[in-house]
Amino acid sequence: MAEDQSASGGDFGSEAIEHLDALYRGALRLTRDADRAQDLVQDAYARALRYQHSYQAGTNMKAWLFAIMRNLYWDRFQKNQREPVSLDDIPEFALYDQMRDELGEGPEAEVLNRVARGEVVEAIEKLAPLHREVVLLVDVEGFAYKDAATILGVPIGTVMSRLHRARQQLQKDLFAYALESGIVPRGLDRSA
Amino acid sequence: MWNCEDCVQRLDQLVDKELTEPEVREVHLHLERCGDCVKRYDFQEGLKKLMKVSCDERAPDALREKLRQQLGA
Repeated sequence: MAEDQSASGGDFGSEAIEHLDALYRGALRLTRDADRAQDLVQDAYARALRYQHSYQAGTNMKAWLFAIMRNLYWDRFQKNQREPVSLDDIPEFALYDQMRDELGEGPEAEVLNRVARGEVVEAIEKLAPLHREVVLLVDVEGFAYKDAATILGVPIGTVMSRLHRARQQLQKDLFAYALESGIVPRGLDRSA
Repeated sequence: MWNCEDCVQRLDQLVDKELTEPEVREVHLHLERCGDCVKRYDFQEGLKKLMKVSCDERAPDALREKLRQQLGA
């Protein structure tokens, strides 16, 4: 009985393609360019197909695919994986507390509905790649810290510290935007 | 008994659902008594959701079709 060669991708292929939207949106934010994103996704799938024997059925396929894509991305675009800044260089910054100081009372979470989505994407794309990727994995894709750690090949503590720094930076950028756009009125002392 | 600082230090893990059960119990005990931390938490969670919805994208159909063929899916 001859095995149909073309079906060798079969179940693997159907399962893999379920994660296309996730991989594509990740690639888009990593490369910040639609053409490059498509190339990166295609290459990631080609590599996944080639190494499908190393995927253990029943484990986290989405995480496995992200790890492949992430490694391709670093090989291609970011040879130098240096931490952008040390934790000590960023003072603690919480958007909620900044807004509260500015407004006189704590902002309701609804205020976030007034932030333009394009502005959020821009803030994410401005992050250093090592910070951006962890935000994409944990916040956008909802990976648990341990899965993000496996994908990135770092300890969980590193995921947590990068995530924290990334969020600090994002909140700073969004606060600047909130002031500029008038979502948060500038305090009287600043307008002088 | 946890105070605001204990709570704020674990805000990332709280919104990411990465706290242990005993920690979650401690956090809830604090949140029951602290309106400011409830708002902090809601806000942080709102930010996380905002990032997710802001990045929502669908892959182009042509790419999907091409990959379907390559993958035999």
